[in-house]
Amino acid sequence: MSSRDTILATLRANRPDPAAHELPPVAVLGDMDAGKARFEDALQLLGGQILLPQEGDTLASAIARRFPDAKIICSAVPDFEGTIRLEDVASPQQAAATDVLVVRSPFGISEMGSIFLSEAQLNSLNSAAHLTQHIVVILSEKNLTANMHTAYVERPEFHTAHYGVLMTGPSATADIQGVLIRGAQGVRSLSVWWE
Amino acid sequence: MKVKPVNHAKAAEAFLEDAPHLTFHDERLWDMRQKRDQQMHLLPEWQELRSRASAIKEHTLANLPEYLEQFEANAKKNGIHVHWAADGAEHNRIVGEILEKHGAKSLIKSKSMVTEECDMRAYLEPRGVVVTETDLGERIQQLDGQMPSHIVVPAVHKLVPDVARIFAKNYNTDPNDDSPQSLAESQRMAARPVILTADAGMTGGNFLVAETGTFVVCTNEGNADLSATVPNLHIATLGIERIVPRMADMGVFVRLLSRSALGSPITQYTTHFRGPQKGGEMHIVLVDNGRSARLGMEEFWTSLKCIRCGACMNTCPVYRRSGGLSYGAVYSGPIGAIIDPTFNERKYSTLPFASTMNGSCTNVCPVKINIHEQLYKWRRVLAEHHELPFVKREIMHMAGKLMGQPTLYRTAINGTEVALSSLPRFVLYNWLNPWGKHRELPHPVKQTFHSWYKKNRLKGKEESKGGKA
Repeated sequence: MSSRDTILATLRANRPDPAAHELPPVAVLGDMDAGKARFEDALQLLGGQILLPQEGDTLASAIARRFPDAKIICSAVPDFEGTIRLEDVASPQQAAATDVLVVRSPFGISEMGSIFLSEAQLNSLNSAAHLTQHIVVILSEKNLTANMHTAYVERPEFHTAHYGVLMTGPSATADIQGVLIRGAQGVRSLSVWWE
Repeated sequence: MKVKPVNHAKAAEAFLEDAPHLTFHDERLWDMRQKRDQQMHLLPEWQELRSRASAIKEHTLANLPEYLEQFEANAKKNGIHVHWAADGAEHNRIVGEILEKHGAKSLIKSKSMVTEECDMRAYLEPRGVVVTETDLGERIQQLDGQMPSHIVVPAVHKLVPDVARIFAKNYNTDPNDDSPQSLAESQRMAARPVILTADAGMTGGNFLVAETGTFVVCTNEGNADLSATVPNLHIATLGIERIVPRMADMGVFVRLLSRSALGSPITQYTTHFRGPQKGGEMHIVLVDNGRSARLGMEEFWTSLKCIRCGACMNTCPVYRRSGGLSYGAVYSGPIGAIIDPTFNERKYSTLPFASTMNGSCTNVCPVKINIHEQLYKWRRVLAEHHELPFVKREIMHMAGKLMGQPTLYRTAINGTEVALSSLPRFVLYNWLNPWGKHRELPHPVKQTFHSWYKKNRLKGKEESKGGKA
């Protein structure tokens, strides 16, 4: 008998009575505020930033101001130029040179300040979102969902994407003597630009 | 040769002697517990979430074979290769074969307690595979030749100078570097080239979703997503109990996990892997390693609900003051003490005694495992299986006799006043009395409650009875 069959047979022999443990209905609990203010508060708590436009600003000028030393600005969206397009980045090794990656997220979660990215937004080069030094995420207020329950119930991406990441602020660690450090091994900063 | 039980008390004694490490460890973990409490108080539905999480997990465990089959079918449909490992040896063999088939010689991995359980690095390295842990805390532990001391924060028992010393030796950094920021940056700089040239990547995982064939990985550093997406080959290892039925159930668990673990609302990364990336190959190894047997243990099967948040460890006064390494096991703290004996009853027979039975672990558990009750039940099982050490057994035996006979007990208790105030220290504080280590015995009472009651209340009762008559 294969290990698979042995394991399944042992589980069948040993399990508690299924009739005594019914599956509860899907839970949709908690605060249903799907607002921008709640999203921004949550994002900032986890170290993320809002890229705020100044008078007459475009995304390009806001990025130039925020990242004055950036040499390679890679765009994964059609409406922003950058210095290189993500479609022209051939490999993770090439993506590793990116200073700023600009992407558009299909939805955000107000409770957490999380944004979602999948292969559909990353031209199937998923590592690009983690190898870049900084990431700028374009997000629309109308694509906010209230909390984790509503996100998992409503969003089709969790059933279709092969790779789907909820990013909440930049990478972080507190593994050395409990000191919180933003910018661990993935992106050093994550900024949201409202459209 | 018979395996020796872990001497937790002795290892803890060494930990207690180092005041700076002890103080930091105790305070850091208590701080995590307090941050957890703050998050809990922000959510009026917290207890409802715990009840739901517990019910979903119990239902899933009672239907585990069906959900695993459903997961397997969906994952395969999405192009994931699904493997089943009965134990650690089979897990390691499977991973070794996948790597060999691809000619992979360098493996980058994120933290996975299951691979620790299987002792995978020790298997792969002699076979020519260089395994690099990419999680900062786990990497520190790997370079120092130690097991993780905590399931969420593996190097929590170390201070900045310890890390500086380890990095100086391995990364040629300044041994006097006293900045956590610059040490973390050294890890980033050292890891990045290894990540970019690795042949294969490996992750653990927090959840399996039966409905979609997805596995979910919750992390903070970004190293897990790098390990999974940079190389074309991704292998994930998960225990068979980590499953939930529906994607919609993930809301309950994600809302509880990081709040319970670190006191942050969510991990920086919550990643859903449903299939290989373009041009890539994805494998998942479902590991039993004693879990299917544990499901049949009437008093202990609910320990399989565990989502590995570590809240029980952070709150435990014994864990905070003894350190994870003192448990001598992959899983330490209260959750370790109730699951480790299922791996090796004799070796881990001492661990269920590493508790004050205060029940705090049970109170903070996000999936409502009755941890302290299981600790108590393990003590009974171990006593029945004759796995108690000599002194504990004899003292329990004497205590049992004493407490079984009221007259004898009262004589003895009355005698403690004389004994505690008049016996020389070497009689009270010796190897037969572990309670006398690091603490003073209580001051003897002038009078026991029983003798006071006999003298006052009982007399009054007799009088009032007499009055009535």
